[in-house]
Amino acid sequence: MHKVLSETWCIPISDEIHAAEARRDVLIMARRLGFGSTAAYHLAIAVTELAINICHHAGSGEICLRTITDQDRIGIEVIARDRGPGIADIELALRDGYSTWGSLGCGLSGVQRLLDELEIDSKAGQETRVRGCKWLTPPLNPAKITISREAL
Amino acid sequence: MTESADFTLGQVLEIRQEELLNAWMNSVLLTWRRKYPHTAINEDLLRLQSRQLLDELRKLFSGAIPPEGWEPVPGSKIATLLYDFSVKHAKHGIKHNDTVLYISVIKQLLIRALLQDAPPACRVLNTLIISMDHVLDRLTVTLYDAYLETRERIIAQQSLSLLELSTPVVRLWDRVVMVPLIGVIDTQRARQITERLLEAIAKYEATVAILDVTGVPVLDTSVAGHIMKTIAAAQMLGAQVVMTGINPDGAQTLVKLGVNFAEVTTRATLRAGIAEGLLRVGKRIVPIKE
Repeated sequence: MHKVLSETWCIPISDEIHAAEARRDVLIMARRLGFGSTAAYHLAIAVTELAINICHHAGSGEICLRTITDQDRIGIEVIARDRGPGIADIELALRDGYSTWGSLGCGLSGVQRLLDELEIDSKAGQETRVRGCKWLTPPLNPAKITISREAL
Repeated sequence: MTESADFTLGQVLEIRQEELLNAWMNSVLLTWRRKYPHTAINEDLLRLQSRQLLDELRKLFSGAIPPEGWEPVPGSKIATLLYDFSVKHAKHGIKHNDTVLYISVIKQLLIRALLQDAPPACRVLNTLIISMDHVLDRLTVTLYDAYLETRERIIAQQSLSLLELSTPVVRLWDRVVMVPLIGVIDTQRARQITERLLEAIAKYEATVAILDVTGVPVLDTSVAGHIMKTIAAAQMLGAQVVMTGINPDGAQTLVKLGVNFAEVTTRATLRAGIAEGLLRVGKRIVPIKE
C-alpha cells in the first residue's frame, strides 16, 4: 500500500469557478513534483472534470489533493467527495457518451484514461467518493521530496 | 473586575464541557442540516474545532476576567480557529448569518449555564438578559446582511464588467469574423460567446468564423462541449468554423478524453487559421510588389 508524503490539501467545491481553483492547485503541485507538461495537463483536466461533476450532480463537495509514494514511485492522489445523489450505475457512468445532463458524456470515462488509477465508491443516496492517482515516471527518490501546505 | 475567585466561567466550562459541547453541536447541526441539505459537513472536524474553541475560552476565563475592550490577538489560537472555521464554511456556501449563529448558540448556552444557579429573585432579570442578547444578536446579523449585500453587488458588477470585456467578436475581413477566447469558460460565458458570435455572423453575413482558443488555459470536456454547441449553431447560420490555437498538451488530452473535433476544421496557429479563413472567401495575403 502507498504512503502519504504530504499534508492533504482540500478545496471545497460549490461552483464552477472552484473547479478552476482546484485545477490551478493541482497544476502547481504537479510542476513542483516534476511532472512533465502533458502529464500535468492530464492531471489538471482530470481534477477539473471531477470538480465539475461535483457541481452538476451534487451541488457541493470537495476535492482533496496529496502526494503519495509507493516503493520507488511518487504520485499525486486526487479524492473527490460529495454527498449528492450518488452514482446509480457506475459502469454506465463510465461509458463514453453517457450523460444525464446533456454534456458530452466523456468526463468520467476520460478521467479514467487520463489517470493511472481510479476507484469509484458510490451507492445511490450515500457519499460518493472518487479516488484517482497519477504516478510520476521515471521515479524520483521519495526521501528528497517534501511538499508542505505552505508550498501551495 | 477581579472578583471572580469563587465562581468563574472557567469553572462552568471545566465541569460542564461535554454537556455544553453536545448541546452546542446538536443545535448548530440541526440548523445547518435543515438549511444546507446537500452540503457535506464534516461533523468530527467541527466537533474537534469546537472542543478546541471551548478549551481556549476556558483558558481565557479561568484567571482574571478579560478586561473591557478585549480583542483577540491576531494569529492567536482562538483567532486562527475562528478564521479557519469561517473561511472553510464560506467556501462551502454556508452563509455568514449561519456562521455567526455558531457563536451565538454557545453564547446563549453559556449565559444559561451561568444563570442557572442564580437566586430566584434574579429570574426575571435572567429571562430579560437572555431575550435581549438574542434580539441584539439578530440585529448584528441584520447589519452584516446590509453590508455584505452591498459588497456582493459590487462584486457582481465587476464580474459583469469582466464579461463585457472578455468576448469581442472581431470582423477580420468581408464575411470573416474572429472570436479570441480568453480565460476560464464557464456555462455563463459560453452562452454569451455563442450569442455574440451568432449576432456577428448574422450582422456581417459571415461565412467563416475563426474561433481562437490560444487564451484558454485548459480544454476540458465541459469547455469542449460548449465550443461544439457554438460551432453547431454557427454552422446553422451558414458559417464554417475554423478553430485555432489548441496547444500540443491540449490536443493529446482531448484525444484521451475522447472528445472528437474531427468534423471541425482546426489549425495549430491563428496565423494558419486566418490564411484558411481568407482562402475560403477567395482571398489571400500577398506581399506588396515594389
